[in-house]
Amino acid sequence: MRELRIAAVADIHLGEDLRGHYRKKIEGIERRADVLLVGGDLTRHGTIPEARVVADELSGLPIPVVAVLGNHDYHSDRNAEIIDLLRDAGITVLDDEGTVVPIDGVRLGVAGGKGFGGGFAGKCASEFGEPETKAFVRHTKEIAERWRRALKELDADYKIVLSHYSPVKDTLMGEPPEIYPFLGSYMLAEAADAEGADLFIHGHAHAGTEKGVTPGGIRVRNVALPVIKHAYTVYCLNGGY
Amino acid sequence: METPHYVAARVQRALAEDERTTELGIRVDVRGEEVYLRGQVSCDERRHQIVNVAREAAPGLRVHNELTLVEVREPGEEEHL
Ligand SMILES: [Fe+2]
Ligand SMILES: [Fe+2]
Repeated sequence: MRELRIAAVADIHLGEDLRGHYRKKIEGIERRADVLLVGGDLTRHGTIPEARVVADELSGLPIPVVAVLGNHDYHSDRNAEIIDLLRDAGITVLDDEGTVVPIDGVRLGVAGGKGFGGGFAGKCASEFGEPETKAFVRHTKEIAERWRRALKELDADYKIVLSHYSPVKDTLMGEPPEIYPFLGSYMLAEAADAEGADLFIHGHAHAGTEKGVTPGGIRVRNVALPVIKHAYTVYCLNGGY
Repeated sequence: METPHYVAARVQRALAEDERTTELGIRVDVRGEEVYLRGQVSCDERRHQIVNVAREAAPGLRVHNELTLVEVREPGEEEHL
């Protein structure tokens, strides 16, 4: 089976002040990659004008673009409209669901969404006590369940989980440990490990590190722009099922 | 003088919540009358705004801009998994 070249980036945080800058850096991406995955925090405040900049920068590329939103894209409560706007621009936006991208006869399955926090095994929040605490933990739990279902239903040769929040602590190294529960949750890793995937892409941890692995052995890559310091990173998948 | 701990917390919250910045990843350290800002930002304009918001949140203190600009480079070497 043909090798797939996956370009990935997150936390581009675009706004009018950066219009045109990112686009310039991704010109010619089709020579290096078969698909571009964008792991959330596309904007700074989650406004419609910012989302228009995102649509303009990411649309019309010769390769498919698959994206999820991040916490910043929720800030102005316009997340649903932002998703519609990006989809109208030809970008596939995953909101706790999966999609299959056909690339030269190879089926690349991508599942995911924003994700959420809660912390990591042994040091995590649990669904106990005040309603606020329970709601926080339940949000992540429900997301993880939807991802699990989405991954299971994907009929694909390769599977990738695309998230904003992190599934593991490995890629948070460099962030203050006190804020780990706001940066990700082990439940996201658990969902991926249960159904199997070839790669787990996330962002959000600007001060984290690029490489990690889930307890089940899925490679994790934090592609937040301040971490990778490149317009995107390319991961090549050779194996397949 | 206000406890540095609370000044740092206030500046950090201002940087996260102020519409001009909305930066969550800025490290704020306060030592006596000095405020140190560290982290990465994507353009000079945003760096200025961060300093402005921090100054407003910590009046009378000296704000040190130690923020670095993230230089987005052309894509580098690919990784084979
Ligand atoms: Fe971000
Ligand atoms: Fe984020």
